[in-house]
Amino acid sequence: MYLYLPVALTSINILVPVGLGLAVGLLSGLFGVGGGFLLTPLLIMFGIPSTVAAATDSNQIVAASTSGTYAHWKVGNVDFKMGLYLLIGGFLGGIIGVQAIKLLHAMGNADFVIKMTYVLMLGIVGVYMFIESIQSLRKKKDAAAVDTREQKESPVGRFLASLPLQTRFEKSGVTHSALVPVVLGGFVGILAAIMGVGGGFLMVPVMVYMLRMPMHVVVGTSLFQILFTCIEVTFLQAYTNHSVDFLLAVLLLLGSTVGAQIGTVFGRKLKGEQLKVLLASIVLIVTVKIIFELTMTPALLVSQAGGH
Amino acid sequence: MNCGLRIADCGLRTVIITALIILFGFAGNASAMLTAKANHDHITIDFFYHGSTVGVKGLSDPGRDLVIKITSPEGHQVLKQKGKVAGLLWMNVGTLSFEDTPNLYEIWGTKKIEDIVTPAEREKYSLGYAALEKHVVIEPVKTAEDRSKWFGEFVKFKEAQHLYSAGDSRIETTALADGHQEYYIMTQWPYQAAPGDYTVSVYAVKDGKVVEQAESHVKVEQVGMVKTLAAMAKESAAVYGFLSIGIALSAGFGVGLIFRKGGGAH
Repeated sequence: MYLYLPVALTSINILVPVGLGLAVGLLSGLFGVGGGFLLTPLLIMFGIPSTVAAATDSNQIVAASTSGTYAHWKVGNVDFKMGLYLLIGGFLGGIIGVQAIKLLHAMGNADFVIKMTYVLMLGIVGVYMFIESIQSLRKKKDAAAVDTREQKESPVGRFLASLPLQTRFEKSGVTHSALVPVVLGGFVGILAAIMGVGGGFLMVPVMVYMLRMPMHVVVGTSLFQILFTCIEVTFLQAYTNHSVDFLLAVLLLLGSTVGAQIGTVFGRKLKGEQLKVLLASIVLIVTVKIIFELTMTPALLVSQAGGH
Repeated sequence: MNCGLRIADCGLRTVIITALIILFGFAGNASAMLTAKANHDHITIDFFYHGSTVGVKGLSDPGRDLVIKITSPEGHQVLKQKGKVAGLLWMNVGTLSFEDTPNLYEIWGTKKIEDIVTPAEREKYSLGYAALEKHVVIEPVKTAEDRSKWFGEFVKFKEAQHLYSAGDSRIETTALADGHQEYYIMTQWPYQAAPGDYTVSVYAVKDGKVVEQAESHVKVEQVGMVKTLAAMAKESAAVYGFLSIGIALSAGFGVGLIFRKGGGAH
């Protein structure tokens, strides 16, 4: 059955957005990512204009992350305090990132910087996460019961511990200076604004490797943070670009809210390292896809203006 | 009475009337014989709209070749331009502006248009891509080859969206008993075509020249909730934004509660 989308000005088989929403919601619940880096290109592939695809994706992420945050909160996997600090940083970073994009556009090389940032960040995050989580899995297999990582005191760790405003994050079981999550959130916010994505796939590794939070709390906290980011983006897109398709968002969220719940249930059955290996694999597949797109001659040499 | 004068009067009147009949009779043949009618001239877009069909039919002089063109009003379109950076990576390298271009352009002939209309006439009436290319203003392009290349890419992009098509020769013609020719074509109206007014132009061609022209119109309009939502997105953007967020939050919580009740978690 087909439905006509009033803002996208196109007609779509309802099974397509519901199915895509379900798949991306599943990833959301499992890994704490919004899934915009997967869903937006898929929507464009199905004929949705790029501006509408990006904006409507943010709207459906609001639903999926609400559903996911709620499910994770019920099982005690959301560190609201950490999420709030990251959110403050992310908000400030977003403002800086938007200015950086304006500057890049004025210099005329915005697209090159955006694409390169995307490939490098995805590639580095994917490879690092993949190798680290495989090593962790092997260590556990070898019955090296002690997590040596926790016991190592690196120079970076010593530096972080020396910073002022040290505070305890009970839910995550870590102590950091309040400045650390704000600065890291700001860093992700800058990159997310430059790349035009929510930044979940960057925020998750930052929380795991730099803030040393347990993977399951990372997922819930990341979703909490993504929820607020996407509320802001949805409103701005609707208000300034008129590019949110309400009906498409409803179709997507029919799938994504259910998918997020299923993902949360599955996620609880998997070990943190297994989740990391899976997320790293998806990130690497997306990286390879982008590299192919960048190097192969495209079928069309012009595209709709206004999207990514 | 003054019969001689009257006879002369009558004769003059007859000559004038005969001349007028002959003159208007020919003019009528030349300009009013060709007719055009779209059978579905008001397409309404509701939630279940998935394109439509539009039939165009009419009468023409016998043996005439015909060209049918459906276009939207011409306007300004901006597209991103892809190019190679550092000789290796394909990415957006700028934007191209296409002036005086219709968003929808579809054309059919009784035969291949290049075989029945001279280049000058094609250019005059914008019949076919080559003629449209001469009419369109593309910026920025440096050379004629560049212009030709980017117009070709523009057409490929529009064809991929089902908004442009040319080269089909599937107008059916039937000779009628009264000596006229009836023509007919059934076209698929793409759902990608935006709401607006579209013009159906029919050209009768003789010896490579357009000798008659007729027009019909198709109006595409959003109705009901589709119209309300589209208008709200533009005219009450803040309310629309809050509504979108509110629905998303409610749906997220709602599904969360359903799963909780269903025992999905914990």
